[in-house]
Amino acid sequence: MKLAFVGVGDAGTRIVDRLVRAERASGRSVSDGNVLVFNTDDAAFEAATAVPDERRVLLGDTHPAVRRRPDPAEAGGADGAETADGAGGADETEALASEIDPFGVGGDPDTGAAVAEAELPEIRRALDRIDETEVAGTMLVTGLGGGTGTGVGSVLLEELNSIYETPVYVLGALPAATEPDRRALTAARGIRTVVPLADAVFPVDNEAWRRGDPVAERYDAINDAIAARVLALFGAGERDPESVSELRVDPADVTRTLEVGGVASIGHATHELTPDDAGVVTRLLRLLGIADAPESDGAEADAATVKRLVRRALESTLTLPCSVDSADRVLVILSGPPDAVSRKGFETGRYLLEEETETVEVLAGDEPVPGATEVTATVVLSNVTDVPRIDEIQRRAVAALDASDAGDDGTTVLGDAADADTRPGAPDPADGPGDDAAGDSHASEDGQTGNPTDGAAGAEPDGASSESTTETDGSASEDGDRSVHGFDFTAGDDRGK
Amino acid sequence: MKLATIGVGNAGSKLIDRMIEFEVETGRNLCRHALVINTARTDLAKPKNIPEDRRVLIGDTHHKARGHGVGGDAEIGAEVAKTDIDEIRRVFDDVEIHEVDAVLVAAGLGGGTGSGAAPVVIEEIQKMYDEPVYGLGVLPGKYEGGRPALNAARSLQSFVTKVDNFIAFDNDAWRSRGQTIEQGYEEMNKELATRIVTLLAAGEVDESEVGENAMDSSDIMRTLEVGGVSSIGYASTELAPAKQGLLSKFNESDEPESESTDAAKIKGLVRRAVNSRLTVPCDISSADRALIVFAGPPEVISRKGVESAREWLENAADTVDVLAGDDPRPDSSTLAAVVLLSNVTETPRIDEIQSQAVDAQNKIREQDAVREEEIQSLITDDDDDLDPIV
Ligand SMILES: Nc1nc2c(ncn2[C@@H]2O[C@H](COP(=O)(O)OP(=O)(O)OP(=O)(O)O)[C@@H](O)[C@H]2O)c(=O)[nH]1
Ligand SMILES: Nc1nc2c(ncn2[C@@H]2O[C@H](COP(=O)(O)OP(=O)(O)OP(=O)(O)O)[C@@H](O)[C@H]2O)c(=O)[nH]1
Ligand SMILES: [Mg+2]
Ligand SMILES: [Mg+2]
Repeated sequence: MKLAFVGVGDAGTRIVDRLVRAERASGRSVSDGNVLVFNTDDAAFEAATAVPDERRVLLGDTHPAVRRRPDPAEAGGADGAETADGAGGADETEALASEIDPFGVGGDPDTGAAVAEAELPEIRRALDRIDETEVAGTMLVTGLGGGTGTGVGSVLLEELNSIYETPVYVLGALPAATEPDRRALTAARGIRTVVPLADAVFPVDNEAWRRGDPVAERYDAINDAIAARVLALFGAGERDPESVSELRVDPADVTRTLEVGGVASIGHATHELTPDDAGVVTRLLRLLGIADAPESDGAEADAATVKRLVRRALESTLTLPCSVDSADRVLVILSGPPDAVSRKGFETGRYLLEEETETVEVLAGDEPVPGATEVTATVVLSNVTDVPRIDEIQRRAVAALDASDAGDDGTTVLGDAADADTRPGAPDPADGPGDDAAGDSHASEDGQTGNPTDGAAGAEPDGASSESTTETDGSASEDGDRSVHGFDFTAGDDRGK
Repeated sequence: MKLATIGVGNAGSKLIDRMIEFEVETGRNLCRHALVINTARTDLAKPKNIPEDRRVLIGDTHHKARGHGVGGDAEIGAEVAKTDIDEIRRVFDDVEIHEVDAVLVAAGLGGGTGSGAAPVVIEEIQKMYDEPVYGLGVLPGKYEGGRPALNAARSLQSFVTKVDNFIAFDNDAWRSRGQTIEQGYEEMNKELATRIVTLLAAGEVDESEVGENAMDSSDIMRTLEVGGVSSIGYASTELAPAKQGLLSKFNESDEPESESTDAAKIKGLVRRAVNSRLTVPCDISSADRALIVFAGPPEVISRKGVESAREWLENAADTVDVLAGDDPRPDSSTLAAVVLLSNVTETPRIDEIQSQAVDAQNKIREQDAVREEEIQSLITDDDDDLDPIV
């Protein structure tokens, strides 16, 4: 599915840069150059070299509250900025993100929104650079805790909604627990703002992904993980138009999965094919002309491997950790060499998702990648509603708001990061999940992402679902019984002859 | 029989394409017209045996489809077929309908395009022509889950009420160990194409070959006309080289003995056809009518064998309406028996799909009912203190 990427703020700029790089590296073309980044501070632009200069838009020149950085090459004359590339920008990766630097809108989303409103003509001109006919949707990429990310982002989102007929999604980083209260407050308000406006929102939980390290040190790693997941989802089927898929993931499969709105989360797992794998054995046997290779026991093990891979994706560190059984719709994509993905594994993996997520709306597709040496499973959980991190950010936001109401100067309290690490209830950084590839065991221990063992899985969904079932049981089952005989469909009952 | 064939959606298109491949391979001539209809532009690029101008994209102006499929949503599949019905009619204008005996519409009932658009297409064809319309529908497997089952249960109902006969294919019955996704679908499509083409192409032989025992298209149509759901069985055997070429003459001198072994073989072949995998598993005694086609060199099809096979099937299917006939294929090195069980009423997989569908529909209604409320409660704090930015 072709998507335009529109980044806002530092986080948005860096993640869009990563997305474009990942597109090139993986041979999947999603944006086809339809990218733009907006910021109120240009420090992050310099490192985002995958985004062409004319597609970086600096806002706020005329707004009194927007502070510009002192020119690093002041002494070197008017054109010195070119030579100072990198040095200034890269090191500034917001130090430890434990304080908000004062440049741009300085963390204030209301200023961000005001700047964007004032510069709508400029924004519209920039958006003309995106060719809507080339894409099937737009992804607005932001840090939801950012004054620019959420402030400018919200106005942009309204604008994108009004000019595009195609879906507009939001990919938004959530602040880590060590970041200032102001970031949490902005993020909580941001969620509240963008979820109703966007067709779906993909929050990324920086806290879960920083693995106990200072979040800014993990930005690159997190951004790579995000890019891999976004491309696995939207780039399926955009890699090689020549390779024929049996059940292709069409853009409509993605948009239908996401059309219920709310927030969505992505899980991802990879299985490296080794020479012992049935897929390779099968290939070898076929080369040798042994016709019944597919019947071999080795190939049957492949079904188990594929099913396990789907489970691992579900239990991996999700972009947004959540209770998987709160998902509304699900999409699973298996990508790998066409002769290594077992049909049985694909089907049982899909069924496993239906059981674990307790929804019947599970779409599935394959993405054949000839010559690939790995199989990956990507699981999209659409409209998850049980998300502890969002609740926690809201609690922190409300506390910060109360504190600022009590204090004499709200802005000062909110801008102060000093109390971030001593705040009661801050999670132990050591609880963070493991890294992308190796994090599966951690993820299942934290209990948020589903049933950790095969044994429990079979028994649990029924029990777990009983609560929600009984709530609506009365009316639902009555309707249901009537519908057994009442499947009426399409052109009604008037037979054409 | 001569057919106009229409594949709707991804699975339907692949099936028609595979049928044409099979008839070309075996020198048959069944599909006089072939048309594929899809909502996904990329799927339309797949068929190898269907000319560009016989591939129809529908729904490209619909705001949800846009040439990108319908994502399993049968309602949209139906809606876009209705909207673009003129487009479909226009392509069908080229079809010399008097040249064909019937129209066959194939679809995967689990998909949104197949399940939703195919019944609309069928209805339109029935408005245009008086020829019988047959359905060929793929039933989704159990593990494909609730949504495909719901699509299939609903679509099945429209198919069966509209078409003159519905030939079902159960994807679950055709899973075998160690298949990859690609092999799985390819093997199923090949098996289905073999059965359908072997059955329906009978009666299209060169006049000079027609013996008194040849199957006629009207016999096949008569068996199908009872409506309902049908299942097809198939078995084939490689013929010993002795039956062909120089040695076959030598063999003829041995006729009496050869005749009785051949008879036993023929009956055995039919039993095997019925007892091996049917396109949809069913209780064969629930069949209303049945028909056997023997495709192979005429000299190996023993009359005695045909008659005893027919009697055996009369018993097994518990109906007196059993026809048997030949599709003489002098150069063939195999003898195949294909058995059509028409209007079978005991098909456990269909019952299962229906109950899976009811559960799915209930679940979907529950989710629809709470969706907005749950999103709202996720994004607002407990006391609703937090303001949106815009
Ligand atoms: N995952 C990820 N998160 C980031 C990155 N950069 C910043 N963030 C997070 O995004 C949020 C907003 O930070 P910025 O993007 O720097 O803020 P901004 O949108 O530029 O706006 P200001 O508040 O005015 O600086 C914070 O919670 C950061 O932790 C990044 O590269 N990757
Ligand atoms: N036998 C067989 N079944 C198939 C094949 N391809 C898909 N299916 C089945 O068909 C159903 C999916 O339908 P598709 O035809 O792929 O979907 P569609 O009708 O094009 O509709 P959308 O994808 O929703 O737009 C599932 O039950 C699949 O298992 C195939 O080549 N052979
Ligand atoms: Mg900043
Ligand atoms: Mg499809």
